Amino acid sequence: MALLDVRDLSIRYEPKQRAAVDAVSHLSFSIDDGEFVGLIGESGSGKTTVGMAVLRLLERPGRISGGSITFDGTDIAHLSQDELRKYRWREISTVFQSSMNSLNPVTRVEAQFADVIQCHTALRGREVTERIRTLFDMVLIDPKFMTAFPHELSGGMRQRINLALALAIGPRFVVLDEPTTGLDVVVQHSILENVRRLQAELGFAVLFISHDLGTVLDLSDRTMVMYAGKIVEEQATRQLLREPLHPYTKGLLGSYGDPRAETVRITYVPGRPPDLAHRPGGCAFAARCPERIDGCTELEPAETEIGDGLVACHVAAIQRGAADNTTGAEVGPAIRTFAGPQFVKSAAESAEAVRGRPLVTVDNVSKTYVRRQGLRAVRTEAVTGASFVLRRGGVTALVGQSGSGKSTIARMITGVDAPTSGQITFHGSDGDQVVARMRGRRLRSYRGSVQMVFQDPYSALNPTKTLGATLARPLINFQHLHGTQLRDRVIDLLETVALSPGGRFVNRYPHELSGGQRQRVVIARALAVEPELIVADEPISSLDVSIRAEVLELFDKLVHERSVGILYITHDLLSARMLCDEVVVLNEGKVVEQGPSLDVIRSPQDDYTRLLLDAIPNPFAATRD
Amino acid sequence: MSSTQNAVLPEEQVAAAGTDPVDRWYRVVWSSKKARVGVVVVAIYVLVALLAPVIAPYGPTDGSFTPLTGPSAQHLLGTNVAGVDVFSQVIYGSRVSLLVGLLGGLLATAIALLIGMVSGYAEGTVVDDVLTFLTNTALVIPVLPLIITLVAYSDTRGIPLIVGVIAFTSWAGAARSKRAQIITLRNRDFVTAAKFSGDGTFRIIFSEILPNMTSLVAAAFVGAATGAIGAEAGLAVLGLGSSDSVSWGTILYQADAAGAISQGLFVWVFVPGLVLAILITSMAFINFGIDLLSNPHLRED
Repeated sequence: MALLDVRDLSIRYEPKQRAAVDAVSHLSFSIDDGEFVGLIGESGSGKTTVGMAVLRLLERPGRISGGSITFDGTDIAHLSQDELRKYRWREISTVFQSSMNSLNPVTRVEAQFADVIQCHTALRGREVTERIRTLFDMVLIDPKFMTAFPHELSGGMRQRINLALALAIGPRFVVLDEPTTGLDVVVQHSILENVRRLQAELGFAVLFISHDLGTVLDLSDRTMVMYAGKIVEEQATRQLLREPLHPYTKGLLGSYGDPRAETVRITYVPGRPPDLAHRPGGCAFAARCPERIDGCTELEPAETEIGDGLVACHVAAIQRGAADNTTGAEVGPAIRTFAGPQFVKSAAESAEAVRGRPLVTVDNVSKTYVRRQGLRAVRTEAVTGASFVLRRGGVTALVGQSGSGKSTIARMITGVDAPTSGQITFHGSDGDQVVARMRGRRLRSYRGSVQMVFQDPYSALNPTKTLGATLARPLINFQHLHGTQLRDRVIDLLETVALSPGGRFVNRYPHELSGGQRQRVVIARALAVEPELIVADEPISSLDVSIRAEVLELFDKLVHERSVGILYITHDLLSARMLCDEVVVLNEGKVVEQGPSLDVIRSPQDDYTRLLLDAIPNPFAATRD
Repeated sequence: MSSTQNAVLPEEQVAAAGTDPVDRWYRVVWSSKKARVGVVVVAIYVLVALLAPVIAPYGPTDGSFTPLTGPSAQHLLGTNVAGVDVFSQVIYGSRVSLLVGLLGGLLATAIALLIGMVSGYAEGTVVDDVLTFLTNTALVIPVLPLIITLVAYSDTRGIPLIVGVIAFTSWAGAARSKRAQIITLRNRDFVTAAKFSGDGTFRIIFSEILPNMTSLVAAAFVGAATGAIGAEAGLAVLGLGSSDSVSWGTILYQADAAGAISQGLFVWVFVPGLVLAILITSMAFINFGIDLLSNPHLRED
C-alpha cells in the first residue's frame, strides 16, 4: 500500500469579500515509501496549496472541501490538530518555500534542533548534541556553526540547515516546496544534489514541489504536472521526457534547451492560465492549446491511463487509442513537441555577431562600497577592474551569480552610481560623454538614450496607473507629444510589443495583465524614447518558464528591427545563448571570461564558466543515451 | 529568424476587468462592523449640521428666554445664563466641530504630506536632514501651551485662526509616519522607471508614489480630523474658542462658568460632552475600516 494516498482532494478558498475559488479540484495521487515524486506547475496552479493540504497547514480562508489524504492507513485530512501532532516532524516534515525566514532569528541554530529532537525522542543532553553533529555532517556543514545565529549564515547554509532540521527525526515523508527558490544557481545545484543523495541513503519519500521543471525532472522518479488545480499528466520521469502526453507538458518541456546545441529551439505557451473563480467549461488548457479539437472546450477530459502514465487530455487519449473519437475531429498523429510558437536560434546566426561601432566603453572600472560602522569602515569591492565594450545593435550578456557585481555595473552604466576608479564612456549621437560626470539636466537627457527593463514586472509598473498613462510619461517628457499624437504613439508602442489592438490595452491597469504581458509593457516603456541602449536586468527570471521565450523573442525582434544595443544581465546561460552576441562572465567582481556567446558556451576557458554551465538543469541528458 | 503563430488569443483571456477602486474601497470599509457604525453615526452628524436651522427650535444666540432653566418641553436641555436654548446650541455646535475637523484635518494632512514625503524621498540628503530637524522640533515643543499662547494673543479669534493653529501644531507625528512609509516605497522599480521616463522629483513623489499610499493618507486624515475636533473642543472649554460661533466646547465652558453641576443642571454638561465623545469614537471606528484597506491581513477573511 502506498505511504501517502490522496483521493479526490478538493480545496476551496472562501474569502468573505470575493468569490470562492476552487484552487484544487478532485485531485488524486499516491506516493510510495522511498519514492521521489515531483509536482510541477506554473504560479497559481495550486501546487503549493496541495503541499500545504498534505501537511494540514492550510489556513483560512482555504479549507479541504472534499476527498481524503491517507497517510500510512490513517486519513489525516480530518484529524484534529492535536491528533496530528504525533505525525508532524516524526512522520511528515517539510522545508518551506520561504526557508530563508523559517529559522527563528533570535535563537541559536543548535537550540532549534534541540527543541525538535527533545520533543519527539528520548535523547537528552550529550546525545542531542551528537545527533545534531551527525545532521550537520549529513548536509555538509561544519558542526562549528551549531552555535551560530541564523543571520550569521549564508542563504545556502540556512537552507541546508532547514533540510537537516526536516530530517532530524528521520521522517518517512518530506514535502519540499520550492526549497531553492531565491538561491543562486550554483548553490541551488549543490543543495539539490545533497537532497538526492540523502534521499537515496535514508530512503524517505519526497514530494518535491517546484515551478522549475529542470530541477524537478533532474531529481524525481515520477513527475506530476499540475494546471489550473488539476493534475493533467503523471508519468515516470524518464517516460515523461521521452513521450510527454499532455500538450501543456510539451509546452513546459519545450521551454528548455541545451545552450551548447547547434540549433536551439525553445517554445512558449501564449496566453495565461484561467481565472479559477470563473473556470471555463471543458479543458482548462484548451484556450492556450495548439492541439485542441472542438470537444476540448465542451467536455472536461477525464484522467485516462496510457501505458504507465495518466493524462487528462482528449487529444492524447484519442491519438493513443485510449478513447473513441466520437466527434470525428481531426487530431493528427501524436507529437512529442509543443506545436505552438517557438523561438529558434541556430549556430550560424549566433556566429554572425554584428560587429557594430562601440556604444559604451567600460574601461578598467572598479567600485568599492564603504560602509561605516561607528569608527570602523567596511570596504566591499563590488567590481574590480572590469573592461568591456557594448556595441550598437549588439546584445551583450553579463553573466554571473548573485553578488558577482552584475547589478553594480548596470547601475554605473545607467548613471545611478559612479565608479570609484576607471571610466565609462557613452559614445552617443552627440559625441562621447563620460557617464559619471553627468548631472541634473544632462543626466536626464542621457536617460533619453539609455533605458532599463526590470527583473520584476510586478513592481516595475505603477499599480495605480493605466498602461496608457505609464507609457505617456516618457513621450511627454522627452518628445513633448500631446493630444491625439500622444495617444497614437502610445497605441503604436503597445502594438510594437504585440499587445494588439493597442486601443484595448490603453485603459487597462497592470493587475489585469499576465506577467509576460506586463513585461511587454515595461519593454514598450523602455522603447518609447527610442533609446540607443537598453539595460535589461534579469528580465525573464521572474516569469513562468512557459512564457519566457515569448519575451526573449520580442527582445530579439527589437534588436534586429531597431538596432538598439542591449546589455542583458542574467545568470542563465541558455537565455544568453538565445539572445546574445557576446558574453561577459563575471565572478566576484572580476571579468573572468568574455567573447562571442557561442564560443564561451561551447568551449569555456574559465573554471567558473564551466561551473555555471554545469548548474543548468538538463533533464534531457538522461534520455539522450 | 523565428516563427510565431499567434493563434491563441492572449488578450481575450484577460479576466474580468478590475472593479472601480472606489467601489472596492467602499466594500472593504463597509465589511467592518465598527466602520459601518462609524460611517452611519458621522453621516447623522453631518446631516444634523447641514439641517441645523430646520432641527434647532431657536437660534444659537437667541437670548430671549428665562435664563438657567432646567430641561422642559420648550427647552429640551434647558437654557443658559444668557437665556439661550442649550439644545439649539448643541445642534449648531455640530457645524463648528465638523468644520474644524474637516479643515484642520485637511490642512494638517497636507503639511504632513508635503514635509514627510519630500523628506522621506530625499532620505540621507541635506533636504532630509533639515526637514527631519523641523519635524523633530515640532514634535518636542509642548503643544498645549503653544496653542494657548497663540490663540490668547490673537486679536480676532475666528474659525480660520483655530483651524490654522491646530493644523500648525499637529502635523509633525503624521509627517514622521509618511516619511517612514515613503522610504519603503521609493526603491520600487516603478519609481526608478519614472526617473528613466524623465519625470521630475515632485511628480514622482506626488503622482507616482502618493496614489500608492492613498489608504494611509486617508487614515491619517481621519486621525488628524479627530485630533482637530478634540483640540477645538479643548480650546473652547478653556475659553479660547471662536468668539463668533458656538461650539460644544463653548457650551461646556459656559456651563462650567455658571456652575451647572452645583445647580443640578446636569444635562447642560453631559449632553455636549456625550455628543463630542460619540463623534470622536465614530471617527476612530471609521479608521478601523480604513486600516483594512492598507493592511489586508486585518481583513476578516
